[in-house]
Order: sequence, then structure tokens, then C-alpha cells
Amino acid sequence: MAREGESRSFRRKFCKLCFDKVDRIDYKDDRRLTRFITDRGKIVPRRISGTCARHQSQITEAVKRARILALLPFTSEQYR
Amino acid sequence: MKTYETTIIFDPGLEEARINEEVDRVSQSISQASGEVVEVQRWGKRKLAYNIRKRRDGTYIHIKHKSPPELIGDMDRRFRLNESVLRHLTVLAVKESPRVEEPGRVGEPAAAGAVHAASPNIEEKA
Repeated sequence: MAREGESRSFRRKFCKLCFDKVDRIDYKDDRRLTRFITDRGKIVPRRISGTCARHQSQITEAVKRARILALLPFTSEQYR
Repeated sequence: MKTYETTIIFDPGLEEARINEEVDRVSQSISQASGEVVEVQRWGKRKLAYNIRKRRDGTYIHIKHKSPPELIGDMDRRFRLNESVLRHLTVLAVKESPRVEEPGRVGEPAAAGAVHAASPNIEEKA
């Protein structure tokens, strides 16, 4: 996708979950989910993470469930 | 009958015996409603991502069970009334699908990713 003559290195984003062939993201898997939240605890948007639509919606649901169970924060401590 | 996953966070101050008692009570209510407890997981004491009722930790119990849908509302109400339950969540369990191994389903985008991985220093972009 990188145009010719472009000095800034540009790499096409790809869905890391598709790459790992993840079939389903589990809300109990908080270690994997932490990769998809910012340090403020927000869900990383697709345009940043490059996640595909299918996986992004799975992430969203999983993160929201994990938050209820206090596996993930709604917001980080220092911003409260 | 549907398969559910219920996770309960108990007060960390609760003794092992009390928690077992609570779990037994839940299991009983499931079997009484002609359901079936598939699996009980004890995650043990874990740090909470945020304080709940001024507790920093919680004892996690995860129960997979087959229950009639009518029971879930009842269960929810009982957890709410139970002072030793800090938090609870019941969700439908995902079926273990045999299509995981099937090539070409998730394969297409994954293959695209593989092409990129073949190029060097792809790992740098987090």
C-alpha cells in the first residue's frame, strides 16, 4: 500500500487475531485482552489496532464482560 | 436447557468452607431445577482491577452449567441479595465448534497476515 517515494516507513495493518487464527476471544482471557485496551482502559479502535470487524466486535464484548468481573479496569487508577 | 457460564466473585475474607457452602447451594439450586453442573473452576483469590465495596481482592468461582433459562433470573436475584457476593456474571457458554480446524474459514485474512509476517521486522509494530 506504501506509495513510491514515501519516506516515512509505512506498514499495512493486519488483524493480529486472524494472524494467530483465534476463533473466539474469551472474556476470561484477560491477558490477551489487555493488548486491546489503552493505558486509560479504553478499547483500542480498529483504525489503530488494525483488527478485523469480526474480531473487533468479539474484543468489544469480551472487554465489557471482563470489566464487569473486575478482570479489566473501566478506567485506570491514576485518571480517576 | 441451555449451557451457561456463571462467574461469582466472593468476598476475600470468606473462609474456604463458607465458599464451598455457597457453591454447594448454587449447585443444588441448579440440580433442583433439573439442570446439571458441568464444571466448577476455582480461580482462587485474585486482585480486582478496581475496588468493589472497598475490597481489593476477590475469590473467583466459575461454574459451567446446563440450566433452564427461568433459573437464571432467580439465580441473579439471589446473588444480588447475598452480601458475600461482590459481583456475578452469567453468560451463555459458547459451543465448542468443530469448524475451528476447518481451513479457509478464518484462513483468508490469516493468510494475508502470514505474507506480512514473512517480511522482516514485522514484529516491531505493536
